Formats: sequence, structure tokens, C-alpha cells
Amino acid sequence: MVSKTEETQLNRLENQVDNGGGGAWDYLCLVRKLKVRRSEKVFKYGLSILNDPKKRSALGPEEWTLYEQVAIAAMDCQCLDVTKDCIKVLQKKFPESKRVGRLNGMLLEAKGSWAEAEKAYSSLLEDNSLDQVIHKRRVAMAKAQGNISKAIELLNKYLEIFMADHDAWRELADIYVSLQMYKQAAFCYEELILSQPTVPLYHLAYADVLYTLGGLENLQTAKKYYASTIDLTGGKNTRALFGICLCTSAIAQVSKGRNKEDKESPELQSLAATALEKDYKQRAADKLGLLTSALRSLKI
Amino acid sequence: MAEDLVLDTAIRDWVLIPLSVVMVLIGILRYFVSKLMLSSQLPDPKIVKEGQIIVRARNLRAAANFIPPKSFRSRRVYFSNEENGLLFVPKGQAQNPQAQMFSDPNMAMDMMKKNLSMIIPQTLTFAWVNFFFSGFVAAKIPFPLTQRFRSMLQNGIDLSTVDVSYVSSRSWYFLNLFGLRGLFSLILGEENATDDTQRMMQMSGFGFDPSKNLGAEKDGLDIVQHEWALPKFEHRAEAVLKKLIK
Repeated sequence: MVSKTEETQLNRLENQVDNGGGGAWDYLCLVRKLKVRRSEKVFKYGLSILNDPKKRSALGPEEWTLYEQVAIAAMDCQCLDVTKDCIKVLQKKFPESKRVGRLNGMLLEAKGSWAEAEKAYSSLLEDNSLDQVIHKRRVAMAKAQGNISKAIELLNKYLEIFMADHDAWRELADIYVSLQMYKQAAFCYEELILSQPTVPLYHLAYADVLYTLGGLENLQTAKKYYASTIDLTGGKNTRALFGICLCTSAIAQVSKGRNKEDKESPELQSLAATALEKDYKQRAADKLGLLTSALRSLKI
Repeated sequence: MAEDLVLDTAIRDWVLIPLSVVMVLIGILRYFVSKLMLSSQLPDPKIVKEGQIIVRARNLRAAANFIPPKSFRSRRVYFSNEENGLLFVPKGQAQNPQAQMFSDPNMAMDMMKKNLSMIIPQTLTFAWVNFFFSGFVAAKIPFPLTQRFRSMLQNGIDLSTVDVSYVSSRSWYFLNLFGLRGLFSLILGEENATDDTQRMMQMSGFGFDPSKNLGAEKDGLDIVQHEWALPKFEHRAEAVLKKLIK
């Protein structure tokens, strides 16, 4: 995940380049380092550098990395002719390269010829069965074709070997949530929390899934994770605040008539409600009425 | 005892400096040769998988308090149960890493190449130093030493009354051997093949022993006491919100 300082730096460079202030190469390097997806800008500025022979020779050996970056960005923007040109140049320079073979496979994928792309990827995998990028491309292809079960199967097999890859766990969690397989999604989110315990995003998603699963124990756990999200984000996360209110009222409903374990819950709920009202007053004052009526209906 | 020998400045010009320069040049040469001889080694899938397992187990240990106790327990069983736990290595099977390394021809070749590229220049330089630069005092070490070091440092000098601080050029060679590492990392960037001392240390603690790592992780995991940190978070969230509202 990109940190806040890196994000501001990226935006600053982007503004600078957009307003004609130069520094395109720094911007491209930063995008490549942070692995963010800004394909349009990369395509525009990368292509302008590549088409200018003076600037191109000034890059030296980094020229080829730029070709690869522009090729991928062009595929993302569906400008396949540019991609083909870039790949041709790279192939001339590095005839037997696996990286270029991978780009070829991606081009086939972008064109939509799934079978050929699959063949290309399998042959590359024969040479090196541990290439993470190619495995992930196959999963992406399965997902793009709509074959979600195959995507899940491939992703699970990938994770059996590379179980420390948290991006893959995240993707798997997304897929499970889209298929409403919430128990499995909860497992994936637990993995994510284990690998990066201080990222509030995962706590929030985990709490959402637990709340959706329902049942008294899950609701109580969900409430705890909403609370941890609030703690990690300093109380600014609206979704977590809503989550607390909803959880508390759901717990109250489920445990109606049983011994209510009200250790500190009423305070938390009322605090969350007050925080929400304050937030809405500041940012969306016209919706405050909706909020108060919704909160009132919850407290029943 | 402590008469100061006056050493000819010609020694400095013609012995110390040329020796250092030659060693630096040989180091740079070895770096480029090693780059040329670099063979791409296909990673072994088993080792990669084990590495990843270890990372995951380590994450589990580190952040165990962030997930509910049931999930932690199920994961712990998954890792360390007796039948097919990932970290469990039955005693007989713990592969002797040496045998494994020698049976894999690629790895053996790589190791031979690395060893050769280290041993041959060292031997040649040492022989050269001994042949040309022996039989005289080359430098004075600024601190006093005991008589024990005499045989090591004063090899070509056959006078037993000379203070042990006056050393021969062989000791200058060894000093350079171990000391130029810092210089090389400045010139050549971090990962350079001239890092002899590191490699020597690696060779003595022989090889990557995955089975021991797994066993260590399993023990660590067994020890962990799960103490669910989340209930604390509710209190903390309250405090945060209270502050926010004020």
C-alpha cells in the first residue's frame, strides 16, 4: 500500500508534469516504484519521451524499462498498435527474453484471444514454474472471462506455494465477497490482518464480513473490529462509526431477553452517534436530518 | 626497548601504496568477472515454498493477538499438527543440507565457481607479496603488542629484538584484505563479490538449513499465548471518540 507521503509526492509530480513543468521521467520512475496504475498519464508522457530520439538516448539502459512500462500502459488504454511497436523494439533487442514473452502473452490477452494467451503463458511456465507474475495473469484472465470458479481454483493453488503474498489474499477475499462466500472471505481477511495488522482497511472489511455473517458471536467480534478501525483511524472513518451503531442495535435485537452483556457498549454507541452527527454537521449539513432519524430508529 | 626505528619513506611509496592499489584493482576485476560468470539459477520450488511458509508463520506469531482466538488456534493446528502440519518435519527426514547441496549439480557448480573466484586471487596475491615484499620491516603498528604476535606479523624479519609493532608487509596484506570491504561497497555498490569475509563466515556456518528453520518456527508458534487484543480496542475507541467530540 502506498503511504501518505508517497501519495502526496506522486500527486505533486503529476500536477507538475500536467502543467508542463517537466520532470516526466521522475514521475514515471515513481509510478514504477510504487506500482500504481496511472496508465493514461504513463502512456502519454512515456510515449512523448520515447518518440523524441534525443530524450530517448539520454535515458541510456533505462530506455528498455520505459518501453516495457509504456507497453503495459498502452495495453491498459487499449492502444494495441503502440503496444505492438514497443514489443517489437524490445524483441529485437532481447530476442530470447522471458520478460518479452510475458509482454507478448499480455498483448494476446488484451486482444481477447484467450486460448492463445493461455498457451503462451503455459509454455512460459514450463520454463520457470515459479514466475509469480504469470500465475497472476492467468488468474486475471480467468476472472476476465467470467470463469470465477477457475479463478478461485488457480488463486488457491498459487497461494499454496506463495502464501506470503498479501495482494493475492486480498484479491481472493474480493472474489469470495462477490460470490457471497463470507466465511472464506473472513479467513482471507484474517490473513491480511496477520500480515499487516496496522492497516485499518482490513479491520473494516473484516468487520463488514462478520456483520454480514450475523449471529451473536460474529456481531460482537465485528463490533470489536469496528472499534479497532476507529482507533486506527482516529475516529474519522464514517463507515466504522455507522458500523458500531448498527452492530450495537443488532446485538441488542439478537440478545433480547437474554442477559445483556453491557460492559461498555451504551457509551460506545452514543459516542459514535455523537461523532457521526458532528461529522455530518461539518461536511453534509443538509443530510443531518436523515442521519438523526436513522439513528433514532436504530436505538429501538 | 622502545627505540624508534626510522623507516624509509621509500617503503611507503613502493610497498604500502602499490600493495593497496593492486588489491583494489584485483577486487574490481573479480567483481566484473563474477558478473560475467553469473548463471541464472532457477529457484527450487520446495525452498521457495518453505520460505513463504516461514514468512506466514512468522506473521502469525507476530500478529496473533489481532485475530479471534478460534482462528488463531485453527491456524496453529494447521501449521504444527503431527500428521500434515506445514512446519512439522519428522526427525528422520531432516535432510542433511550438505548432501542436498552436493547432489544438486547446478548448486555445486555455482559454489565451486564462487570458491574458485575467491581462492585463486587470494593465493596469487599472497604468493606475490611473499616473494617480492618479504625480509624487511614495512610498517609500524601504532599500539603495542605482545610477543605472541611476533610469528604472525613479523614473518620475514629474523631479528628477535625488533619491537613487535614493526610488522612485515604480509600483515599489511591481511589488513587490506579485511579492510577494503568498506571501500568496495562504496565503489561498487552494496552487493559485490569481493565480500570475502562474509562468504567465509557463511561457509563456516554451513548452508541454508531449511529444516532447522521450520523446526524453530514451529517451536516459536507452540509457545505463543494468544491474548486477544481486540477488547482493549473498544476502550481505546471510546477514548478516541471522546476526544474527538470535545
